[in-house]
Amino acid sequence: MIHLKRGRELDDPGNSGSLNDLSFLLIIFFIVTAGFNIDKGFLLNLPDNAKPRVVQREELVKCSLDPIGNIALDGKAVTLAEAESILKEKRSSHPNMTFLLVIDPETPYQKVVDIIYEIRKLDIENFSFRMSGGNT
Amino acid sequence: MIRLNRRKKRPMIPMSSMSDIGFLLLIFIMLISLINQRHEVHIEYSEAKMIEKTQETKNLEIWIEQDGTLTVDGKKTDEATLEQIIAQTLAADPKTRVHIIADRNTPYREVNSVVTILQRLQHRVVSFVVKEEL
Repeated sequence: MIHLKRGRELDDPGNSGSLNDLSFLLIIFFIVTAGFNIDKGFLLNLPDNAKPRVVQREELVKCSLDPIGNIALDGKAVTLAEAESILKEKRSSHPNMTFLLVIDPETPYQKVVDIIYEIRKLDIENFSFRMSGGNT
Repeated sequence: MIRLNRRKKRPMIPMSSMSDIGFLLLIFIMLISLINQRHEVHIEYSEAKMIEKTQETKNLEIWIEQDGTLTVDGKKTDEATLEQIIAQTLAADPKTRVHIIADRNTPYREVNSVVTILQRLQHRVVSFVVKEEL
């Protein structure tokens, strides 16, 4: 008589363990890719052209931005680091300081974003911008 | 006395329903991501370190390519049509957030044209969308 050894019966005949892993991996993939669609950036308030704000001359800092990305504060060419320290000083003496950015029409968008980033970093609340020759 | 030999059953958790739940969740998330589908335009994003979340419940994304091509909802448009689209969108829901997504090398005059339209429509808030610099 031949004795055939019977293997241990499976606990779950329809073992679908790997299917669980696969489905949950796919879920994670879709959640992650859906998360990339969130818009991030800078929220800006646009000035009202009909009601221009009156600002005292000593509280106004005019910054010009040329197409290469060079900046000039009140007509004086400065680097970004110099501008940062000047603005910090100005803000301590004039807390209600207004920063006006005048952008050349040919300036690449990234250069404008760089300046907006600096303004946000310095926490300057009164910020206005316009294109040179325009009136934003 | 009759002795009954009871087979001891090993405790187990049924896992077969888990894959059903997983796939149902998968279908749900796939459908949601299809509804929220974004018509991306191939641009080189501007980058900044410190950015905030500007997404709102309702959003209108205006894409500006390097050559000034305007795209809204995957359709190329011109300034006059864009003005109509913005006006209609804001009339339907004034709380709609307007996002400007421009290529990093786009001349500012192209961005300014959209900003001017928003000002003309008396819309006060705009979001300049940038990518977080790592």
